[in-house]
Amino acid sequence: MDAVLLTHPWSVWTIIVPLAAAVLAFLVPRRAPLAGIITALSVALFVAATAYRIFLAGPHTQMLGGWQAPLGITLRADGPALIMLLTSGLVGLTVSLYATGYFTAADRQQRYFWPLWLLLWAACNALFLSGDLFNLYVTLELVTLSSIALAALNGSPAALDGAMRYLLAGLLGSLSYLLGVALIYGAYGTVDLTLLGQTVRADGLSRAALALMTAGLLLKTALFPLHFWLPPAHASAPPPVSALLSGLVVKAPLLILFRLWFEVFPDTATAGMAHLLGILGCGAIIWGSLMALRQQRLKLLVAYSTVAQIGYFFLLFPLARGEAAATAWVGVFLLVLAHGCSKASMFLVCGTITRLAGHDRLAGLAGAGGTLGARLLVFALAAVTLVGMPPSSGFIAKWLLINAAIVAGQWWYLATIALGTLLASGYVLRVLSLAFTESQSPPLPVAPRILRWPPLALSVVAVLLGLAAFHPAVLTLAGAPVSGIILLEMVP
Amino acid sequence: MSVPLIYTAAGIFLFLLGTYGLVAYAHLLRKILAANIMGSGVFMAFIAVAGRTPGAPDPVPHAMVLTGIVVTVAFTSVALALAVRIARTSSRVHLSGRDEEQ
Amino acid sequence: MTPGPLLLFDLLLPAVLLWLAWRSLTSSDLFRAVILFIAFNLLLALAWVRLEAPDVALAEAAIGAGVTGTLLLAALTRIESAAGRRLSRPARWRPAALVLTGTALLAAAAGLLWSLRLLPTMPGGLGPLVDRHLAESGVDHPVTAVLLNFRGYDTLLEVAVLLLAVIAIWCLDEAVPFLQQPLESPLLTGFNRMMLPILLLSAGYLLWLGSHAPGGAFQAASLLAAGLLLALFSGASLPAQWSGLPLRLLLVLGFLAFLAAAIIGPLTGRALLHYPPAWVKPLILLVEWLLTLSIALILTATVIGGRPTGSRPYPPPASPAAEGRQR
Repeated sequence: MDAVLLTHPWSVWTIIVPLAAAVLAFLVPRRAPLAGIITALSVALFVAATAYRIFLAGPHTQMLGGWQAPLGITLRADGPALIMLLTSGLVGLTVSLYATGYFTAADRQQRYFWPLWLLLWAACNALFLSGDLFNLYVTLELVTLSSIALAALNGSPAALDGAMRYLLAGLLGSLSYLLGVALIYGAYGTVDLTLLGQTVRADGLSRAALALMTAGLLLKTALFPLHFWLPPAHASAPPPVSALLSGLVVKAPLLILFRLWFEVFPDTATAGMAHLLGILGCGAIIWGSLMALRQQRLKLLVAYSTVAQIGYFFLLFPLARGEAAATAWVGVFLLVLAHGCSKASMFLVCGTITRLAGHDRLAGLAGAGGTLGARLLVFALAAVTLVGMPPSSGFIAKWLLINAAIVAGQWWYLATIALGTLLASGYVLRVLSLAFTESQSPPLPVAPRILRWPPLALSVVAVLLGLAAFHPAVLTLAGAPVSGIILLEMVP
Repeated sequence: MSVPLIYTAAGIFLFLLGTYGLVAYAHLLRKILAANIMGSGVFMAFIAVAGRTPGAPDPVPHAMVLTGIVVTVAFTSVALALAVRIARTSSRVHLSGRDEEQ
Repeated sequence: MTPGPLLLFDLLLPAVLLWLAWRSLTSSDLFRAVILFIAFNLLLALAWVRLEAPDVALAEAAIGAGVTGTLLLAALTRIESAAGRRLSRPARWRPAALVLTGTALLAAAAGLLWSLRLLPTMPGGLGPLVDRHLAESGVDHPVTAVLLNFRGYDTLLEVAVLLLAVIAIWCLDEAVPFLQQPLESPLLTGFNRMMLPILLLSAGYLLWLGSHAPGGAFQAASLLAAGLLLALFSGASLPAQWSGLPLRLLLVLGFLAFLAAAIIGPLTGRALLHYPPAWVKPLILLVEWLLTLSIALILTATVIGGRPTGSRPYPPPASPAAEGRQR
């Protein structure tokens, strides 16, 4: 039994199964929800098997077609990829369950949601596992194009507009990335990440290529000030789609950035470049939070909160230099997992609230007692992780980041994290306070079970992950480009 | 200056020209056209920069650019369908929040 | 390649390409802009020939100029019939923004060009490695070997992107007929009668050629698509009973075959896409033929630009569990 568990390439099936299911969902739309649920359960199983294999036998690679790099493409199942797959598995399973209850009208939206989402899922998993610069381009395009189609799903003018912005930003980003790949191939004659990591020289050409690829990926991750396309696209999509876009899709270009900066170009990237990304991250945290505080609609508030949270991920670049590297690395990857779960849960709750109340204007939700109040409590539970209150996974992640900032002696990042947390509590409390305002509102029907339980379950998982953060933390470092001890105590 | 470098430089200029067009024009069709020109520039730089090997040309970048051309045509078709849909639902040929007739 | 008697050509061609691109971007009439763009792509094919990339040249002429050009013209007609004809001029920018953008673009150009001097003088490409393993790949043409075997995974995902484009377009809109009524011109009919067999034959020839010379599935598919479009323009249409499941099956056939061939590996203890040595040749051939058929239909579907209207549009409501129905 163990022999099979520890040698079979389980991770490959997290790509193949959704691909096949997407085709089936396109062919037989009536059976699409069933195909979606079966896929969701099996992807979760395959991710668990991959985690088991990495935990016991360490990271592993697979040479596709049997061809060794640089001729062939290598898939790599390592710690960072695994954390992304875990996020993808958790968010994907929850959203799939929710979507069976949300898209019930047997209309155009239901018919096209499933093939598009399953293709997106396959693309995300393929991207997380890819170890090849050009293959990353192809998977990234698959991720972007399916996200765009999903963002336009409900066909409203706002959604079409958001999708078009997303598409144009995406094209600009991917072509810039590809030009960087072209320069790299011209200089080194390979696109394999591992081989490049061994041969790249820290010269002007590498810096130019890194700058091109980074600029393209920043646009795709929507880092401040390149975030202009994100709020309209995320806020006007149907809620299950928003949950996927915010919880999962923004992390895809992020992982490529981490791989580039820490595996391929560790010496090319100067401290100044890393601090530039860190400062943009700080800008994102403050600007995104301030914008979230000002929004009048719940979904836009959550979308701007994503703009802010993306900023935290970029603190990795300045903090993961020196002795705090491992601490910052684990902190950021735990934050990816925590943010994925909590943000997906928040968007799903938004969906349920919008369906019950018929709108998501904050002013109109005042006095939301009863059934709406219960939904707001789930929102609050998800926000525990987002804000980073103990004992949630968000708390552990931010604790590690703060430790890394202290050890590295970079107090301004510490101050930004603290300010960001304060502002996040502000916009979350603004939503919660609605439940306690007095107002006359007609009684609303109770939402169906399938629209109530999945978001609740996901936010509970996000909180509990904080109590069991040891295993994910250890796994994050398997095959990671940084190593060292994880500093759990504050030692300035 | 060798021949591939001339084409590499031309590719880089096409890329930047396309970037300018994508940013400067409001009409969606023009933006899509500009993105295609950007793409052509990237492909040209890719083939030319990898075409400096002695002997027979390297088939790997050729295959990659073929893949890139196909991916770009897929993007273009979706972008155009979106643009047509926007024109049909709101009689606009540009993104919201920008002046008419630009 | 060193500058030789062709130097003038090598200076002129990029210059003309840049000029065409500039004209296409700045001409205020969009129809003119699209025509210039098609001309740009045709000349680009010439540049690929000069850079010794005949496969890319074929693809550029067929897909870059042919398919993209048709897509742009079809979209332009539809946009103008929906929103009226507009001239397109650059946005009126504040001088500061113009200077800033211009400086940034020029700085990027200078930086990139300056970095090119660091390119190694004797680069090592993957050409020799491809040659060494060509015999095991099941095809004799290096580019096809890379596409369908060495980097077949990229191609598998690329076909997924194409399929995704059709699904996305069908999700956006219903198909709009090209013409209110079919063109009844004896010239067009005669032209079609002559062109259809020629296109079909050349598509088959290109596909066969791809195993040992420039050509292959994607180029053949775009010729086939051109034939299908010509037939559509002269009034042919898919019978309604075919535009449901049968059409969808044909669209996904190539991808499904590729996917099935890919998982033989993991099911028999090998890597993904690792074909059993004895089956390499027939498997690749089968996948290539089915891919050509599916891609031709996919490209045609993207030009048609919407889901078929003939078929029953939606399945009947799935379950009575409609308690959570919209408002």
